[in-house]
Amino acid sequence: MKRYDVLVVGAGPAGLSAAVEAARLGLRVAVYDENARPGGQLFKQIHKFFGSREHKAKIRGNKIGEELLQEAAAAGVEVMLNAAVIGVFAEKEVAVRVNEQILCRQADALIIATGASENMVNFPGWTLPGVLGAGAAQTMMNLHGVKPGERILLLGSGNVGLVVSYQLLQAGCAVVAVVDALPRIGGYGVHAAKIARCGVPFYTSHTIVRAEGVNQVTGAVIGELDKDRKIIPGSEKHLAVDTICLAVGLSPLSLLCALAGCAMEDNPAKSGYVPLVNRYGETSVAGIFAAGDVSGIEEASAAMIEGRIAGLAAAQRLGFLTQEDLDARVAVQERALASLRQGMFAPGSRGQTFTATTEGCPLSQNLLRQGYLTDTELSAYPGVVWAEGLHPIIECTQNIPCNPCRDACPKQCITVGATAGQITALPIFDAQKGCTGCGLCVAACSGQAIFLVDEEAGEITLPYEFLPLPQKGEQGLALGRSGQEICAAEVVDVKTAKVFDQTNLLTIRVPVQYARQARFFRRAP
Amino acid sequence: MTRINEHPILGVYQKGEPVEFTFDGQPLRGRAGEPLALALKAAGVLIHRYTAKLRQPRGIFCAIGRCTDCVMIVDGRPNVRTCLTPLAAGMDVRTQYGRGEKQ
Ligand SMILES: Cc1cc2nc3c(=O)[nH]c(=O)nc-3n(C[C@H](O)[C@H](O)[C@H](O)COP(=O)(O)OP(=O)(O)OC[C@H]3O[C@@H](n4cnc5c(N)ncnc54)[C@H](O)[C@@H]3O)c2cc1C
Ligand code: SF4
Ligand code: SF4
Ligand code: FES
Repeated sequence: MKRYDVLVVGAGPAGLSAAVEAARLGLRVAVYDENARPGGQLFKQIHKFFGSREHKAKIRGNKIGEELLQEAAAAGVEVMLNAAVIGVFAEKEVAVRVNEQILCRQADALIIATGASENMVNFPGWTLPGVLGAGAAQTMMNLHGVKPGERILLLGSGNVGLVVSYQLLQAGCAVVAVVDALPRIGGYGVHAAKIARCGVPFYTSHTIVRAEGVNQVTGAVIGELDKDRKIIPGSEKHLAVDTICLAVGLSPLSLLCALAGCAMEDNPAKSGYVPLVNRYGETSVAGIFAAGDVSGIEEASAAMIEGRIAGLAAAQRLGFLTQEDLDARVAVQERALASLRQGMFAPGSRGQTFTATTEGCPLSQNLLRQGYLTDTELSAYPGVVWAEGLHPIIECTQNIPCNPCRDACPKQCITVGATAGQITALPIFDAQKGCTGCGLCVAACSGQAIFLVDEEAGEITLPYEFLPLPQKGEQGLALGRSGQEICAAEVVDVKTAKVFDQTNLLTIRVPVQYARQARFFRRAP
Repeated sequence: MTRINEHPILGVYQKGEPVEFTFDGQPLRGRAGEPLALALKAAGVLIHRYTAKLRQPRGIFCAIGRCTDCVMIVDGRPNVRTCLTPLAAGMDVRTQYGRGEKQ
């Protein structure tokens, strides 16, 4: 039987990070993944990630995947694809299905990093062709270049639903509605705002009543929910859609942990049934570790850190690292993890309602319900300073773990938190630092929440990631934060640069009185 | 237009060469190596099978091999998950009724 020092199940960010750490310390490591491609969720995520530099923030998910794979190859990790681990037995023996064959493998330490599976909801018509999971939509458009549909209803407004909606727009699909049963949008306000300004309407406190169609989806009916989550009679609304995309949450894919005999718990803060783990990610079975979404749904940034910790701990168990050395290295990782786990979207904040940021700024209720900030709410935030001349307006108004805007600015005009660890603080713009209007912050912002504004000239520079790219001199319409058409606009500049990493900077000119409102450009039909 | 010609972030997709295959005997075109389910979708085919008892249509749901909604009869073999099967020239793909026994 083939043996390894460490066998990792799952080649997502958690599994690859674990493998790299262990292999760098000289262990013989293999990663098995049932998929034909490594990288787990990462290769479907073509947006710039949140976090800070050490979490690879500002880099697009697919690029992070490539970096991890290169690190794994350089460290001598063996990555085995199309290899589903289907059983875990005593003595860390595992059964792997490769093509129709079952192989047995053994390791001294096992790291389970199987990620998550998508939750489902039932409604009349949910089995019709044209109803699909958000992950399926991403696989189609981002891996294979096939549109999931033309007119799409997105069910679920968590980060997954918001990110997938944006990706659908990038793929050239129309997102007809984002529907959520909860009274507020679940994901980051900046993710919601970037689709709202493209004209995507949000229906919070709404649910799908039925999918219509005989052989495939030809429409959908949604309805508004009352306080008892019952559909308000007469509130039903028909939507002409051909595709219904479900993004109603993820659950840890922890079956292998249970099979391995690990003590498990049902923990809503971790979004489901998870193995109990200690500080090192070790389960109740000595030498079996769990890392990433499998031990609680979070982000790739957290998954990579948990993976590193598990990889280091496995090395210590096998005698490749002293306990002292392990604890010193883990402490560094734990600090990074703690900085991510702050603020209103942290796992520990689930179920709580917030009305203000930690700085005491009132949270925009309109952003939570409709996905955009109103003009009057805007001035309450430290990133919004109406200065003279060209300067950024930072419409980032919730405590999210993110700070690439700070790192991007060569003039140190933007700060996020008093110390490096406070990455959930709101970005602050300092007009005294001499902003040059370079636009680097606009392109770096993972939430596409920064605009350069020159009120006197009526010019707004905005991030633009759609095709076809408008041309200088082109006439069109300016849209407000809600996606409403507000005035005519002319494109006066289009900047693309390698440092902008595929985010183009579009400068539009509008009548000066609209400079505070215009936030998107629509090409003339 | 179901295929994305050029993507603002991903650029032009790396695709296999154009190949022909048949769906219920009718010739269709796709790209070699892409998942069969997506070649069908790009060609406008959404129904992959009908359920055994209620004869309800099913199509792609998860696209990663977990739900089995997308199974079809491929080159005579029933219950093939088309979302995981790479398209090859000349494949004979058929709608599956029930568990794949003759209609
Ligand atoms: C739409 C969307 C947007 C996101 N945006 C962000 C973001 O901006 N920033 C961020 O930090 N995070 C983001 N995330 C979250 C992030 O992608 C996940 O948290 C992260 O991928 C979890 O990593 P993981 O390694 O635990 O699991 P995964 O990435 O899910 O990898 C698990 C791997 O295990 C394999 N596997 C499962 N079972 C088996 C088995 N039995 N045998 C063999 N292999 C198996 C799977 O094939 C998979 O490759 C986003 C997620 C989604 C869906
Ligand atoms: S435009 Fe340039 S100088 Fe001004 S805040 Fe942004 S990054 Fe800094
Ligand atoms: S403004 Fe800064 S903190 Fe806010 S989303 Fe953009 S990069 Fe992140
Ligand atoms: S679509 Fe789910 S198995 Fe193919």
